[in-house]
Amino acid sequence: MSDTSCPYDPFKDVRKQKGIHIGHFDGEEIPMILRYHDVRSAAKDWATYSSDTPFRVPIPSEEDVRSYRQLPIETNPPDHTEYRELVEPLFRRPQQQDYIEEIEKMIDRLLESKLRAGIPVEVVSEFALPLQCKALTRLLRVPESEADTWLLWGMHPFLGEDRQEKGADLERYLERKFIEAKQSAPGDDFFSILAHAEFRGRPLTLDEMMGFGNLAFAGGRDTVINMVTAVIGYMAEHPEAITKLRENPKLIPTAAEEFARIISPVSRIGRTCPTGAHVAGHTIKPGQRVALTWASANFDDSVFDAPDEIRLDRKPNPHVAYGFGPHVCLGAPHARTLIRSLLKIISIRLERIDLLTSKQNRLAGPNIDRHGYYDSLEVRFLGLKSLASNGDR
Amino acid sequence: MPKITYIKPDGTPLTIENAEGNLMEIAVENGVDGITGDCGGVCSCSTCHVRITPEWIERVGPASADEKNLLSYEDSADGRSRLGCQVVLNPELDGLIVEVVGS
Repeated sequence: MSDTSCPYDPFKDVRKQKGIHIGHFDGEEIPMILRYHDVRSAAKDWATYSSDTPFRVPIPSEEDVRSYRQLPIETNPPDHTEYRELVEPLFRRPQQQDYIEEIEKMIDRLLESKLRAGIPVEVVSEFALPLQCKALTRLLRVPESEADTWLLWGMHPFLGEDRQEKGADLERYLERKFIEAKQSAPGDDFFSILAHAEFRGRPLTLDEMMGFGNLAFAGGRDTVINMVTAVIGYMAEHPEAITKLRENPKLIPTAAEEFARIISPVSRIGRTCPTGAHVAGHTIKPGQRVALTWASANFDDSVFDAPDEIRLDRKPNPHVAYGFGPHVCLGAPHARTLIRSLLKIISIRLERIDLLTSKQNRLAGPNIDRHGYYDSLEVRFLGLKSLASNGDR
Repeated sequence: MPKITYIKPDGTPLTIENAEGNLMEIAVENGVDGITGDCGGVCSCSTCHVRITPEWIERVGPASADEKNLLSYEDSADGRSRLGCQVVLNPELDGLIVEVVGS
């Protein structure tokens, strides 16, 4: 990551000049909305910019990797509101103190194991991926051993040459879990809550449960992994940031929001305009799909002072990294707790992080590429001397 | 130290003595319904929307440009609206009463 050339904002010129970039995804022409206020307004206006389109909220579409409409995300209010209420309490638990402490301990244990080994750590596969999987077991309230199965799906169940096989594997896994939960007494885990939920006076169908399950495993996977890796990459390049957060822990939540803005792990999301729309002087045809480009809105200099600069104390920071409106990211409380905890534990435990090798990737292609994410990031964690009793050199 | 009263979305008051910090932090620490403070106070999420009771408006003061910007996206916002994270308590605000808007 570099905070001088800002690899995260390739949209700068076209955002200023046109406000819309015409993207091409799998042969579909998709206007990408780039300016902050246009993106925020569209995110709020769910009737004009509809999510009632199975498989077509993600861009590119996902017809080839799943068989179920994801819930609640691929619906509009009022259905969306009622579906979301079924799982909202579970997804709000990460704001509770006992949950935060559990995540902090989990990160501390993981970091401790890497410190003790004192050897190079490949962050994507050996730190961020296991952390994402283990932390998800806490969110869904299932045994940590379930993470062993989830690890096998790698960066994302819907990415890679074997995406169709992995997608089918995920569906088989989810189906088994929901059927088991349905046949068991009600519990407080994700599968049981849905298997025994009441929606408008009836139980959920298996298709509906599968839709929730699919989102829980597809959302928050590569996004969290990219965030965790990019934060560690930044800390490796900016050791002074570790000291800064250690000396002023009140900055941690603010820094976590700035990383979310800069990294914008969900670059864009799709909406379909059933009756067309007008935005930034462009006409969207009825039935046409557009992209709300969070990653561009978060660098709009009409809202953010020096948007290319990473300022750990940026406040206010009205970013839209977790979306906005009725569909604001369901997993955001979990992601925020995870990143804040990561920053806290790094600042408490580490003196610095040595960057050994890195291979960056491009995220948003094939239209406008964003850089700065990592295919691999090899580092060595160096513990604070006062804590370095376990051979961390 | 100031005292503050939140009128919760269901109409019941909750008074907190010796309050310190901003209106979002105090509400989250005391479990006030309708204020979740998701973004931690950087003016990104609007989950700390309150209305200042009329007699306190002058002393609390107006919203900043960034805050007004965000409030402009809230259907329920009006001239008394503030984001709790942007209102820091001080001795002059002892006795402040605010209404929690909620979602």
